[in-house]
Amino acid sequence: MRWRLLCPLFLALGTLGVVPLGVLADTAQTARALVERAIDQTRGRTSFAMMSMTVHRPSWERTSTLEAWTRGREDALIRFTEPARDAGNATLKQGEKMWTYTPKLNRTIRLPFSLMSQSWAGSDFSYNDLSRTDNLLHQYDLSVTATEQREGHTVYTIEAVPHEDAPVVWGKEVLVLRDDFVLLEQVFYDQDLEPLKKMQVLEIGELGGRTMGLRLRMFEFDKADSYTELEWREADFDIELDDQLFTLFSLRQGSPR
Amino acid sequence: MKVGLLATLSVRNLLRHRRRNAMLVAAIVVAVAGVTFMNSFIRGFQQDLRDSAVANLTGHIKVHAPGYRDDPSIERSFEVATSWQPDIDAQALQGWAARVRVPAVIMSERETRGVQLVGIDPAQEGISFLGDVEFEGEQLSGVGDKRVFLGAALRDQLDTRVGRRLVLITQGSDGRNREAGFRIAGVYDAEGTALEKAYVFTGREALQNLLDTHAVTEVSIRLLQDPAGPSIQRRLLSYFTGLEVLGWRELEPQVAAMFVFADTAIFIWFSIMMGALVFGLVNSLITAVMERVREFGMLRAVGMRPGAVIVQVVMESTVLMAAGVAIGLGIGWLLCASLADGLDLSQWASGVEMVGMRSLVVPRLYGEDMLLVAVLSLVLGVVASLYPAWRAVKINPLEAMRR
Repeated sequence: MRWRLLCPLFLALGTLGVVPLGVLADTAQTARALVERAIDQTRGRTSFAMMSMTVHRPSWERTSTLEAWTRGREDALIRFTEPARDAGNATLKQGEKMWTYTPKLNRTIRLPFSLMSQSWAGSDFSYNDLSRTDNLLHQYDLSVTATEQREGHTVYTIEAVPHEDAPVVWGKEVLVLRDDFVLLEQVFYDQDLEPLKKMQVLEIGELGGRTMGLRLRMFEFDKADSYTELEWREADFDIELDDQLFTLFSLRQGSPR
Repeated sequence: MKVGLLATLSVRNLLRHRRRNAMLVAAIVVAVAGVTFMNSFIRGFQQDLRDSAVANLTGHIKVHAPGYRDDPSIERSFEVATSWQPDIDAQALQGWAARVRVPAVIMSERETRGVQLVGIDPAQEGISFLGDVEFEGEQLSGVGDKRVFLGAALRDQLDTRVGRRLVLITQGSDGRNREAGFRIAGVYDAEGTALEKAYVFTGREALQNLLDTHAVTEVSIRLLQDPAGPSIQRRLLSYFTGLEVLGWRELEPQVAAMFVFADTAIFIWFSIMMGALVFGLVNSLITAVMERVREFGMLRAVGMRPGAVIVQVVMESTVLMAAGVAIGLGIGWLLCASLADGLDLSQWASGVEMVGMRSLVVPRLYGEDMLLVAVLSLVLGVVASLYPAWRAVKINPLEAMRR
């Protein structure tokens, strides 16, 4: 039950792409149910996505293209395909373990947990953001703090306050979820309850038969003019994936298809 | 000829050239005082080095599971009965502590650092630097305290403060990662930021629960005095069979090497200072002999034996040296006494920390060291006078008196 697992990258892949299953009774829609439902929707599913990632910094900007496969909450494989010099760089996740592969070095590196908070591929995402086992359902108290109507949807603002001994550094998180389970934004607050970083969906659309955030941006509030954007180009859900895809062997392959 | 008479002669001879001999004594005084002062510093440094190594969670003797020092993980641990007490004479034992120490990653909202997470029983930590450390906030309240106590330098790095929650990630006894949130109970201000950045403390039981274990990774024993021999180690080994029982010299070989080197450094320093001085002394004595050629010739002619001539010259040198040493030691002692509160090196804190020192060095003067300086100086005085004495003996009475 890992919510922020592969969040927000895969969270967006999974949770944001949830097929709306009818309308829940308004009164019953507590924050917990919303989040729980969203998680249940994605459990055990597989996905494929092709996306571009733009890392923007005050003095430079770089766009790369990557492909990602996920299975359930445990397994994931991400591989860069563009630009040419990064092509083949890949990250594999199996449960708690993560590896990276760099074709130029022809080396597979198991990431020690001390490295997990480092920036992933030079972006504003850390390895932790990709693999963190934070658990919104078990480590946080959830509550709906606001409800509003936006473009024909009910939009819920959910405040998630971590439990006393939760392995969470944030003071709280605030999620904005649409009634069709599209996550619109997620803000991470420090323990003074000052906002620290934010993941924001810039564009919503339909892809692979699901309504989901197509473009999202991650940035930190105190770093001006720096952000990372992810844009979905292609997505496919509930596809058959070979078991072999999530292995070290396939991590080293240029293209598993 | 009586030794008493020779002594009177020597002193009178020395007093004939008060200014010259006063200068010589002054040189000896400066050298001896310098050596004494420097010795006390080296001793202070040496003690400090050992004391900080011992206080720095090492203790005089420590028990580990084999292999723990190469790969410190909770898998290399052992259990200690709750009723266990070290089988050491209460007069020799200062205290002991059982700890769980594992590498961990600590995270705040903004930063992540690698640290040593140490589960302690705060009541036992009188033996380590935690016993009298300055802190803000609170200290850990007991073995079950699920908060952390960390260093000021680490707090600054993590950009956090007392009362905040940090996340610690480490490996449990089954090899899987464990993570948990810990509130900061207090922040300690140790001497030296290396300690502050390295150690994060929490309750021992709290950490054991997180790691799913009842074992500890180390038992550290602090004695009142550096143990003379390995007998205590052997006794411990008979209880902790199959474990590593090591003294601080083996646990901190670098410090032990520095410790030994300090002994040598005292001799090196002494040799340089006194070596330079000896040439001045020889020169002076030769001058004194050469200007008294007629006198020595006369004394020989009236029946003074060559042996007595030698004794007289040696005695002159020894009296000079003895006067210089006495005053020198006195001044050295005064210098040390005036700096009894220690010399503050905090301006060079990062540098002195690198060699493992605290920024406050307290000079330590030992009777043995002073005695050693005195004896060695007098021996040098005798050695230095041998050549002039030989020159005095070589004087031919007939030729000398004809001059």
